Amino acid sequence: MQNSYYLFSNGELKRKDNTLRLSTEDGTISDIPIEKVYDIYVFGELNINTALLNLLSKYKIAVHFFNYYEHYIGTYYPKESNLSGALLVNQIQHYEILNKRLKLAKLFVSGSADNILRNLKYYNTRGKELDNSIQEISELMTQLSYMDSISSVMGIEGNIRKNYYEQWQIIINKDIEFEKRVKRPPDNMINSLISLFNSLLYNKIITEIYKTQLTPTISYLHEPFVKRFSLALDISEVFKPLIVDRFIFSLFNKNMIDESDFEKQTNSLKLKESSFKRILKLFDDRLKTTITHRTLNRIVSYRYLIRLELYKLIKHLIGEKEYDPFKIWW
Amino acid sequence: MYIILVYDINTEQKSNVANRVFKICKKYLVHIQNSVFEGELNESQFINLKNEIKKYLRKDLDSCIVFYSRNEKWLNKEFITEPKDDTSCFL
Repeated sequence: MQNSYYLFSNGELKRKDNTLRLSTEDGTISDIPIEKVYDIYVFGELNINTALLNLLSKYKIAVHFFNYYEHYIGTYYPKESNLSGALLVNQIQHYEILNKRLKLAKLFVSGSADNILRNLKYYNTRGKELDNSIQEISELMTQLSYMDSISSVMGIEGNIRKNYYEQWQIIINKDIEFEKRVKRPPDNMINSLISLFNSLLYNKIITEIYKTQLTPTISYLHEPFVKRFSLALDISEVFKPLIVDRFIFSLFNKNMIDESDFEKQTNSLKLKESSFKRILKLFDDRLKTTITHRTLNRIVSYRYLIRLELYKLIKHLIGEKEYDPFKIWW
Repeated sequence: MYIILVYDINTEQKSNVANRVFKICKKYLVHIQNSVFEGELNESQFINLKNEIKKYLRKDLDSCIVFYSRNEKWLNKEFITEPKDDTSCFL
């Protein structure tokens, strides 16, 4: 399996002997085997030149950049080699025709809600009082089929998420005040972890989209005009409960993180560098977790599940098979 | 499969074989010691690596050995001196 590389050091990343070399400010040199690189996440300050970009393009490696506050700032998206005009036309058509777009938007939301319910039910059987919330979210889901505009579908999605986040204080065995989702900047431990891992998941999905013929800017649930690769936002809805939310629950409930891992900024919290590395490692391991796929009947990783989801979407767009959002089946 | 590749290149005759082989191995595996590489490769990467270095290795002069196991799990690694993790993805 190819690896994701996470670069924290400051220094220079360059092409050397047709592979990557990271030389850091303190003089250490590490060679990265290019054949083993899946994608790269840059958290430090790096100097980069075009010879490097040339090599990255040749190997079709996307590089995601983050700023000092671990906010996503952009991606080096190499020249698209997987292009399909036919699929692009289909992608646009499904966006333009409201019925088709609504159908996809609803599927994304229902997929997300299914997985959320799955999480809630899991904790419900473990003695947490979540019956009310399960009831309410199921009700919201049934309302979904009556919605006739994208904004109302988004509204339902928002309500489901809101209700879900309200239960987090019950699910997490720690005394943290978490009432609602706060962004820009996230105000407490849970909010800042959600922001961080949602954006990491979002980048993972961009990498996967790059490896398929899909165009990342045309989306169905989110408006495609938001200056982002909004298709990744759509897909991330389905995977957040499995990959991000469960990960955060286990971090807290297994005592793998506490206040001492954070440092206070003026009005937000930031993970300390050593803790950040440790937690990122856990997150990377989680993406490599494998399960036996029911219909494919072979072992796949969470990371590959995302790609399979995109293939399912492609099949839907070209009219081969209806899209059926991923549901946690175990 | 998890691979440990070691080579011995004859340098009595002037040639750039050692350099070429070194550079190719670096693309696939992590350089852990002089003429020793280690890393996880899939079947096709392993075949590509072999094909690439075969072009340069001289059958009568050089030697290149690959040890492999199905998974890193089946391999114990012990540092007798200071441990160093070169194979990390967090740099």
